[in-house]
Amino acid sequence: RLSPRRRRCRGPAAEGSSPRDGGSMRCQVSVLYFARSAELAGLRCETLSVPREITSLQLWEEIVKVHPRLAVIRDQVVFAVRQEYVLLGDQLLVLQPGDEVAIIPPISGG
Amino acid sequence: MEENEDVPKDFIKLKSEKLSVDEVSELVVSPYCGAVSLFIGTTRNNFEGKKVIHLEYEAYTSMAETEIKKICRDVRQKWPSVKHIAVHHRLGVVPITEASVIIAVSSPHRAESLEAVMYCINTLKASVPIWKKEIYEDECSWKENKECFWANSEK
Repeated sequence: RLSPRRRRCRGPAAEGSSPRDGGSMRCQVSVLYFARSAELAGLRCETLSVPREITSLQLWEEIVKVHPRLAVIRDQVVFAVRQEYVLLGDQLLVLQPGDEVAIIPPISGG
Repeated sequence: MEENEDVPKDFIKLKSEKLSVDEVSELVVSPYCGAVSLFIGTTRNNFEGKKVIHLEYEAYTSMAETEIKKICRDVRQKWPSVKHIAVHHRLGVVPITEASVIIAVSSPHRAESLEAVMYCINTLKASVPIWKKEIYEDECSWKENKECFWANSEK
């Protein structure tokens, strides 16, 4: 059972500057999971290395590679990138190291 | 005597302790206002024939506060006479009949604060990253607001 309060972010053991690939540049982002997506992924927070320039749909697919169980909620979720909502689709994201990317299932506040 | 113009303020709080109607209304009271309008969202004990034992709320706290601030900003644009706005939302376990959200708005006359409170709760349900899980006797279920601005109503 996931504790709602403790959000220890899983990340790489060693931190250091990653050398540039010959190909696409990547960066480390903090991925936050909430509600059903946290239950499916089995965690609330982790650091992932993703391409710096990527569509929101491609970013989803990167995350699903790590947590295949998330696939079942694909049609219901949106992202929040740097705390702005982004639909899953063609929107091109330009990510910076340390950016927060949150998986947002349908909300039910109030 | 204090020359205090009673500058409009937003009071936003997400907390796990029991919410207080007295506390929230006192935050928005102002000598310049003849009206304080309130909304209290309470937890129901049933859903589609199932008995709800309690509710659990979680939030993307930092973004939820930012989104609620945006709602307050929008309220002030639409109803410029609104004075103070308070939005308190509870997180964690909320027992049945207790308040999960309290919204209070003050204004010189009642029409603006009444309309602003309705706008606040409706927009909160559409856009603030907070989630509610209903715990039944044998199972549990993450709820989805119909107001959720991206939700697909076809299932």
